Amino acid sequence: MKRTITCLAAAAAILLATPSVMAANAVEEAQKMISQGKLEAALSRLESQLKSAPQDAEARFLRGLVLTRLNRNEDAIKAFADITRDYPQLPEPYNNLAVLYAQQGDYEKARDALEAALATHPSYATAHENLGDIYAALAGAAYNRALLLDQGNQAVRSKLSFLNKVSEATGGTQVAVAPPAVVTPAAAPSAPALAPKTTTPSASVTPEPAPAAPKPALPATAAAPVPAAANQAQDTASDNQRAEVLKAVNAWAEAWSEQDVDAYLASYSAGFRPEGGVSRANWAALRRDRVSRPSRIRIGVSNPTVAVVSDGLSEADNLMRVTFRQEYQSNSFGDTVTKVLELRDENGWKIVREYTR
Amino acid sequence: MLLSQRGAFGLLLGLFMAAAVQAGPLAPLNPQLTLESPEASLVSAIELAREGKISESVKALETLLKAQPNFRLAQLIYADLMAARSGVRGIMADDQDPRIKELFEEARLRLDQARFKPAPDAVPNGVLQLSSEYPYILIVDLPAARMHLMRNLDGNLHTVSSRYAAIGREGFGKEVEGDLRTPVGIYHVTGWKADQTLPELYGVGALPLNYPNLWDLFKSKTGYGIWLHGVPRQTYVRAPRSSEGCVTMANEDLLWLKPYVANNWAPVILTDKLTWISKAQLQDERDIFLARIEAWRKSWAAIDTAAYLDFYGEDFSTSGQNKAQFSRHKYRVNASKKFISVDLSDISLFRYPGEPMLLAEFTVTYNSDNFRSVSKKEQYWRRDKTGQWRIFREENR
Repeated sequence: MKRTITCLAAAAAILLATPSVMAANAVEEAQKMISQGKLEAALSRLESQLKSAPQDAEARFLRGLVLTRLNRNEDAIKAFADITRDYPQLPEPYNNLAVLYAQQGDYEKARDALEAALATHPSYATAHENLGDIYAALAGAAYNRALLLDQGNQAVRSKLSFLNKVSEATGGTQVAVAPPAVVTPAAAPSAPALAPKTTTPSASVTPEPAPAAPKPALPATAAAPVPAAANQAQDTASDNQRAEVLKAVNAWAEAWSEQDVDAYLASYSAGFRPEGGVSRANWAALRRDRVSRPSRIRIGVSNPTVAVVSDGLSEADNLMRVTFRQEYQSNSFGDTVTKVLELRDENGWKIVREYTR
Repeated sequence: MLLSQRGAFGLLLGLFMAAAVQAGPLAPLNPQLTLESPEASLVSAIELAREGKISESVKALETLLKAQPNFRLAQLIYADLMAARSGVRGIMADDQDPRIKELFEEARLRLDQARFKPAPDAVPNGVLQLSSEYPYILIVDLPAARMHLMRNLDGNLHTVSSRYAAIGREGFGKEVEGDLRTPVGIYHVTGWKADQTLPELYGVGALPLNYPNLWDLFKSKTGYGIWLHGVPRQTYVRAPRSSEGCVTMANEDLLWLKPYVANNWAPVILTDKLTWISKAQLQDERDIFLARIEAWRKSWAAIDTAAYLDFYGEDFSTSGQNKAQFSRHKYRVNASKKFISVDLSDISLFRYPGEPMLLAEFTVTYNSDNFRSVSKKEQYWRRDKTGQWRIFREENR
């Protein structure tokens, strides 16, 4: 979601019959603080502004974004929901609300919010794309329930599987908030013209994917690191094994970068089980799409550690866990995650498990 | 039907095709299904989708899934709709997955059955006459995964409700213990087993059946513990073929069924082939068979032992006796009789499922100058080579 400043300004221009100079200054100041990473300061600035001008829509909108970036999702939801009540004709607050709901795994509410955005602005491209992803998430969750997967932990698993997909740096996902984008209008120039119906006077809304869910979402999952896993991540492999396994990981990254889908998929074992209960066939179809779709992809692998995977009972040395920093950059999207691959020696090391931490 | 690459709405289209092929022109929904039943909600959501009213269909499914989140088939259809809407390629479930195939089969059976509507005066052909001691009878159409609860009103059967019921993993026609099949035959409910006495597998309770019955014992069938029971609470129903031989149903359906059948030795017909015939045709068959039984009774009461024994086939047997031994016994007993009176009451007549055979159940009130008794008889009748119905097996219960 790229609710950019320009977009926000446009919305505010419509909302405020007489935008005060003071208000504009407050918002500009807050934006500057955000760009310097001073989120708390920006929040204070906006909140003091709202004390004197409670209906300053620009400030309210920006406050919602800051709260999002601060991971205060409940407060952010309230902020955007309040705006949608006062300005139901504006699609952007609905869109942001949807993104926040999606992060909580409440896809139905997210869907309703996006449909509300589209009700007033049927050609709102961002909402369309987000909606597609929400439908996909609803489908994934329902498939999980249909197949009786992860009983007792359904919501979490389906949400994770969805986020995993997103965090796999996919070209077309705009489901989550991208706080950096909020304060980087630089992202806007690449935007193609929007349909004329939008309230935005210029082509300022980028229908391009945003680096989204992973940033706000992953810290949450990483917040409870498993110390044992961290310890296991110490190199326990022999030099020889280590070299072989890393060679396989590099080949995998290279196939991905080359967008050589067949070679990429061949890096995975026949016994590979995708996370989140997605079937192997669906996973492969999704990956084929996602790996081939962008016009270019570059994958960086750094700081790898290689560990023999122990189940605590016996130590099989044919299963290795490689933990590394994965940098993904495509023509439209980039992110960095901590990636874990587990590989098994099957006359050549093949990936049997893949997840992000 | 199971295409390896389903497009958008693959499952739904598949279902619609199945319905069109199997049901011909769509009959209106079975009126016995009230709008509240989850199956009726599911079927109407599918109808809406078929008419292109996708949003309404989605809303209907969401309402249904709020009430029945464990209705896996509804989840699957909802998932397919959402997957199609998303425009994201490749997220549809793999329809070669056995779990998907099971759900697809459940969908096919439910749609077939929900649309099936027997003619107004049609009755199941398996019950020629039902004694008034049985106010209700349960008929389970095993291949269709459907149970029909019928009320016995003055000897006429009326459908109370028809619902989904799943059977053994290996289908039906149980022969031996462990074959994972549901028996075919006529049974009775022997009581009720409460939830707290059972493992979670059985759901909210169980209605045990008297398998193996007298006929099964005669046929040396083995196995035990064939029950009607619920399902674990994590699921709404089980796949059409999923048990070790029991009939399973939604917990709410079991609780609904319980008061009708738990306490009165209610008959349960597990049939491999349920057909519906007109009442008139049934009446004809009933009359023919009743006349044959009446003739048998008369010969007995008349102490006409030769005529009486002629009702028994050459291959007749009863516990411990073949035809020759039985005949000698009857001649000896009847030789001293001055008079016999035989009264038959509570007569039930069934076409026995899975066999070319009729079962007559009745109470015999026997009086003679030196002996009197009241007993429950089960008589198994078969046609001989000439086409005449003769008694093949007879047992007291």
